[in-house]
Amino acid sequence: MKKPMIFSEFFRNNGKLMGSILFFLVAFWIIFLILLPQLSMLDYSFRYNLPPAEVGGPKDVYTLRNYRFLVKGPEGASDAFNYVDLAVFVRTILAAMAVTIMNLILCYPLAYFLGQSKGTGFVRLLVVMLIVPYWINEILRAFALRIIFGDVGVINGLMMQLGLIDQPYDFINADIALYAGLGYAYILLMLFPMYNVIESLDRNQIEAARDMGASWIRIHRRVVIPHAKPGIASGMTMVFMLSAGALAAPQVLGGTSSLWFTQLVYQRFNNTLDWPLGAAYAIVLLVASITIVLTFMKIFKVNMGDIGK
Amino acid sequence: MKSNILFGRVALGLYLVIFFGYLVGPLAVMGLSAFNSAEFPSIIPWQCFTYEWFSTLFHDERILKGVKYSFIVGFGTVILSVAIGLAASLVLTQVWEKWRSTYYTVIIAPILIPGVVLGISTLVFWKKVSDLLGGVDVLSNGIFLTILGQSTFIASYCMLVFVARLQRFDPGLTEAALDLGATHTQAFRKILLPFMRPAIASASVLAFLASFENYNTTTFTFGSYPTLTIQLAQMVRYGINPSISALAVIIVVITVFGALTVEVYRRRSKLKAGEIRQGKGLPAWLFGNTATILLVALSFALIATVYTAQTYSPAQCKADYKAARAAEVQAKIEALRAARAAAAAAAAANGEAPADGGTNAPATQGGTGGFGGVFAPTNLEDAAGQSNGADSGAAAPAAPFGNVFDPGNLEDAAGQNNGASSAPAPAAPASPFGSVFDPNNLENAAGQNGN
Repeated sequence: MKKPMIFSEFFRNNGKLMGSILFFLVAFWIIFLILLPQLSMLDYSFRYNLPPAEVGGPKDVYTLRNYRFLVKGPEGASDAFNYVDLAVFVRTILAAMAVTIMNLILCYPLAYFLGQSKGTGFVRLLVVMLIVPYWINEILRAFALRIIFGDVGVINGLMMQLGLIDQPYDFINADIALYAGLGYAYILLMLFPMYNVIESLDRNQIEAARDMGASWIRIHRRVVIPHAKPGIASGMTMVFMLSAGALAAPQVLGGTSSLWFTQLVYQRFNNTLDWPLGAAYAIVLLVASITIVLTFMKIFKVNMGDIGK
Repeated sequence: MKSNILFGRVALGLYLVIFFGYLVGPLAVMGLSAFNSAEFPSIIPWQCFTYEWFSTLFHDERILKGVKYSFIVGFGTVILSVAIGLAASLVLTQVWEKWRSTYYTVIIAPILIPGVVLGISTLVFWKKVSDLLGGVDVLSNGIFLTILGQSTFIASYCMLVFVARLQRFDPGLTEAALDLGATHTQAFRKILLPFMRPAIASASVLAFLASFENYNTTTFTFGSYPTLTIQLAQMVRYGINPSISALAVIIVVITVFGALTVEVYRRRSKLKAGEIRQGKGLPAWLFGNTATILLVALSFALIATVYTAQTYSPAQCKADYKAARAAEVQAKIEALRAARAAAAAAAAANGEAPADGGTNAPATQGGTGGFGGVFAPTNLEDAAGQSNGADSGAAAPAAPFGNVFDPGNLEDAAGQNNGASSAPAPAAPASPFGSVFDPNNLENAAGQNGN
């Protein structure tokens, strides 16, 4: 048990100069890069969209206008709710969940295979092959899928040359390209946490279970998955958060009629220039996705400390 | 039992192929499209092998500027986030235990916050600060904002790298140095920093790559300094040509190069330390050398490619392709005309018996149905004899293969074959497969059958 650490002790341990440098850097990060920006965004989301001259004036008061807009739509709208934006929101969350589960199913066998095989040259090669695509730009990865799924893309080209179809199938507007792209973009963030924890699982445990006559499914359910739970949780959290907050893939691969919630945020900022409204949307996205993650972590009994390991 | 294992192996192999196909396939397709002369990035139909998109890329002002800004932002982000990450990891081991999990949650949170949110919050906060200070220019500068926004979460990545390394550090070393009279700064510089050097190197690389490829955060903060990723996004959205694919090829090659170099280095040091022993019957040096061999091969391939790129010109092929396209269009027009004429003829000669001598040829054509006469032996003869005929609709380009593969030929073949008969010709479209897949043929064939 360590003794309680207080400032004077911190400086005694690290010296005056080093102590202040460390303290300054960490404080700068936490206060000026993490906390205050988030708080000021929260503050912003409760304000009116005023011209610069009126900021700080009598009209600059707090309001729920921006959140009202997301739920109810513009004042005097014919619909009771802002169906368009709400539908986009729900769709984003559900689709992000679907992408996460798809990635989990796709990655688990490979993580198990890599984690349980000894580090031979073949496995090293596989790992390198995994990392290389991940170093490519996110835009370029989405763009690669566009070459495959586009109207003059590989799949349509092949199918037309084989005579299976005579009109190109619109993968983009059917959102197939988008889901494939989102899954593709973050698949490694699912794989590596799982791979790391499964690698630390003692092979003897599996052998023992097998010797005792446990079936293949049972071994996974009772031995591997409980051990890999932190990794699975970590991977799922990251993939879900990142897909829900993705902007590049929807912009490149999204259809004309369907939007991703981040695109709405982007539009508020860059097209309609209503920053407070955009901030409110961003807050909603942040709160919703954190709530969902925390709920699932509670259900599956995973600690925050396990994330990122 | 044995078949069970075999089945498992096949399933595993299949799964690996699918997984890596999903992972590498899109990149391979994109890579290939960089060498296709088609205006829009695609590989089907394949037109001509070309290097022109690389030169387009190197002459694109926006891309070059984007690369420049990306590097500036990248270096700034590396310095800031490595420093912060290192400090945060050192503090983590010293924080009061009760606070440790809270502290950890706060500094790990930026990884989980959507990049869009980070970008917005950075933009909004620093705008406010700059307003408060009476519009300080630096604070609303795109590069400054982008570095801060990116560092917010990249510092967390760096922190994780450092924490992993610190777990193997023996604090006794620092204590010993302090006991021997070193100052804290000296102890840090002489003991901790050398120990952390590999972690600092990998954190720097990680930070740079993360910064270089970041889009979500940067898109809100870049101001008037669009980084490469921003430029790419704009190019992808508003009209694209394959020079983007060419850029991807370059990045992939650099990445593979880097990965192989690291692998060679790793093998070397392991070999020296005598750690590699496990190779099943194969001597260790061979395992160690796989990466080296690949690296050397890749270098040679690169040099060869760059060398051939100096002299290679696809102009001929492009001209050929253009001519072929023209022929194709021409053929389609002819086919349409022929179909109309056939309809007219059918209307005019309604009562005529089909077993007329003059319509023999079309009758056989009708018989071959979907194959549209391509396989009729006379066609080949005609093709050989008349491929350079002056009356051919499309000018037959002089291809390196002496016209054998020229689609125009097929058209000629079909055209001439039917030219003799009184019935209208079902002109075969010029495509590499002859007329086999052309729906017009079927129509014509059907039409002639009706005759």
